[in-house]
Amino acid sequence: MWSYEKKLEYPVRIKKIDPRMAKFVTSQYGGPDGELAASLRYLTQKFHMPTKELQAILNDIGTEELAHLEMVGTMVHQLTKGASVEQVERGGYGAHYTDHGLAVYPSNAAGVPFTAAYIQSKGDVITDLVENMAAEQKARSTYEYLISLADDPDVIDPLRWLREREVVHFQRFGEALRIAQELKDKKKFY
Amino acid sequence: MNEREKLLEQVMAYDFCMIDLGLFLDTHPADANALKDYRTCYEESEKVRKLYEEKYGPLSLRHMPNQDCWQWINSPWPWVKEV
Repeated sequence: MWSYEKKLEYPVRIKKIDPRMAKFVTSQYGGPDGELAASLRYLTQKFHMPTKELQAILNDIGTEELAHLEMVGTMVHQLTKGASVEQVERGGYGAHYTDHGLAVYPSNAAGVPFTAAYIQSKGDVITDLVENMAAEQKARSTYEYLISLADDPDVIDPLRWLREREVVHFQRFGEALRIAQELKDKKKFY
Repeated sequence: MNEREKLLEQVMAYDFCMIDLGLFLDTHPADANALKDYRTCYEESEKVRKLYEEKYGPLSLRHMPNQDCWQWINSPWPWVKEV
């Protein structure tokens, strides 16, 4: 189970309204390489992991991704909170506003709603860990694209921090893959 | 940043170190240095957490409720934008 801590994993304190940036950042909430997909991917795959190390890493990275989901949602919320209709329209956020007002909604940057098709759970440990390593790299790329689209330091700072976490998770999944491969080799009889 | 936020950021920093070291320990469960660092972060986190909770209210639902009112809802939620 999970219990809530009344704090973010890393601070988000955005003052400037910027619906244009909110539209882009939303992709890391409910887009193909976003935090909702990441958390669901790992927390779903954990059930078929064969060793205590692999069960732990899937469970714990999956849990951290939930904290990232909250951070990204906070960013989208703070980027749009108090925006006027004029700011919404000028920022290219009119389509989102039509369907969701200023609510946070899990979609990609183009407004396509979240789908479980963004994740994989193949039931093959090697396959799933390699999938996860690729997923972390794709998320890193997305954060880099977002950083290049951003101009407000209050937005760039949490984006840079989230990017760093993708790199760390990639490293941990690489170690998990090594553990899985060693286990597979051990099972061979010559 | 006000005094409450400054203290909260100290809790956040130590707790983040525990998350990061925890992931490392998942794949290196016998690493003595990481275990030592984890323990230090845990002890420091507990200290600042206690200070924070005494002053500003609970950070989790694992706390003794106040006799007169439910403190949990009183401090600001972390996503709320400062105005």
